[in-house]
Amino acid sequence: MTVDVLSSIKGAQPSESVNSLFEVIKNANTTNNSFNQNHNNAVFLDDLREDVVFHSPKIEKQIIIENFPREKKGYLVVSKVIEE
Amino acid sequence: MESQIRTIHQQLINKEITCTKLVQERLELLKLNTHVTVNSLLEASALKSASKVDAKIKSGQEIGLLEGIPFGIKDVYMLQGTYTSASSDLLKNYKSSYTATAIQKLLDAGAIPLVKENCDSFGHGSSSENTIFGAVKNAVNPTLVGGGSSGGSAVNVSKDYTVFSIGGDTGGSIRQPAGYNNVYGFKPTYGRISRFGLMAYASSTDCVGPITKSIEDARIVLNTISGKDLKDQTTYHSEKILEEAILNSDAIKTVGYFKNFLESDAIDTQIKSDFLASIEKIKSKGIQVKALDFFELDTLVSTYYTLAMAETASNLSRLDGTNYGNRIEGENLKETYSITRSENFSEETKRRIVGGNQVLSQGFSDEIYLKGLSLRDQIAENFKKDFMEVDVILSPVTPNLPPAIGDSLKDPLAMYLSDAYTVGFSLGQLPTLTMPKGTETGLQITAAKNNDELVFKFANFLKDII
Repeated sequence: MTVDVLSSIKGAQPSESVNSLFEVIKNANTTNNSFNQNHNNAVFLDDLREDVVFHSPKIEKQIIIENFPREKKGYLVVSKVIEE
Repeated sequence: MESQIRTIHQQLINKEITCTKLVQERLELLKLNTHVTVNSLLEASALKSASKVDAKIKSGQEIGLLEGIPFGIKDVYMLQGTYTSASSDLLKNYKSSYTATAIQKLLDAGAIPLVKENCDSFGHGSSSENTIFGAVKNAVNPTLVGGGSSGGSAVNVSKDYTVFSIGGDTGGSIRQPAGYNNVYGFKPTYGRISRFGLMAYASSTDCVGPITKSIEDARIVLNTISGKDLKDQTTYHSEKILEEAILNSDAIKTVGYFKNFLESDAIDTQIKSDFLASIEKIKSKGIQVKALDFFELDTLVSTYYTLAMAETASNLSRLDGTNYGNRIEGENLKETYSITRSENFSEETKRRIVGGNQVLSQGFSDEIYLKGLSLRDQIAENFKKDFMEVDVILSPVTPNLPPAIGDSLKDPLAMYLSDAYTVGFSLGQLPTLTMPKGTETGLQITAAKNNDELVFKFANFLKDII
């Protein structure tokens, strides 16, 4: 897959400067330890917020609508999606 | 201890100045400033808040330490009702619908935001030239860059346009501009401050942090914005750092530095010599100094950028012009995404997104991304071992003085390599402070994870001996 498709950026090209950084990684020595062995990022269940619906304040919803790139009668207008 | 916040607080309660006058003066300075630090001014809301503070003082009520203190916000933080552009065409008209946790804590304490500050777009840069608003000019020499990505924030503090600013640091973006503009910049331990409401660059290293003119101000702001937040599951509970606690640095017996940072060809001879002179002053106070081994500079830079680009490619994939942002319509949905992103992202941002997607894709991810993760683990292990031998580690902030405006854009690789001294501490998620002393672009002090207080202790001690 080409980088413009991968990135959803029309005309995107790989960069030599960036590729030279990646070469360093390819050539770097690493130990045999498998990655992620020291990570303990799991969150405890009682560290989660209450499982209740939280309604956003009116102003938040108003601003979200203000930000719509295209709007019609309070609804977001988007491209028609046709299966390829 | 020296503190701009305390000085102004006294002036307010002694009625030597009104909050309205204070805010008006700072707004005027920001409006007229030629350092290109302002993305948007929050004039109306700031004056409204100031008059409330004045009414409170006039009626004899007490005000909190941060109440009425004007501050700046890097333009990647959500503040409800303000434009948060990330210095990008894509979001130039995007209004924040909610407020970042760290900023809300400052608002709750009564501090007054004056300005959304210019920065490298989405944090992508080390010079604050990657911005649609024009390059930020260095506070001391305006022909040079302001540094990045929190350049606008650092310059505003340095020029006294704001009393403090809130920057963001992923690979050095608070510490480096602080060094370039002779102010303090603190990147706390990852997770000390909630990232909720900070536009994500690399989520595993992004940190919120203060830029100030004194250690005491950094401490005051840090205490206010720290804390566990259920909206950011990477946060942890931390104790406040007390003023008395940092007056005594007896706990620090041994200081380390990385030999290879100084043996590099890249380092400016004066910065090297000044750093070594600082080391001698530390030794003369009876503190043991150890030269430590570390990873090669290009390994550190490459590991950081591999992981950061991968994460930013993922984080910015949400920006496609669908729900918000500067949508540019194409013939169909995919074209709309593709053209919106191509036309609205800067060259540097596109470079990083493309690089990130490359390393995450099949055929590359094992060799590059997963290896990068493994290197990061090794770097973190290395720090654990180092901090069994030393209490703090000292480092220069940058290999060179700030470049001239325009130079970095010609050579992205040189710009990436200039982050060599800051990225390692980011990958280790360590608390790290830039102090504006010791070399032309300052010194970095770092300690083990969660040892933010130790960094402040040592900075307080060091500032008086060098």
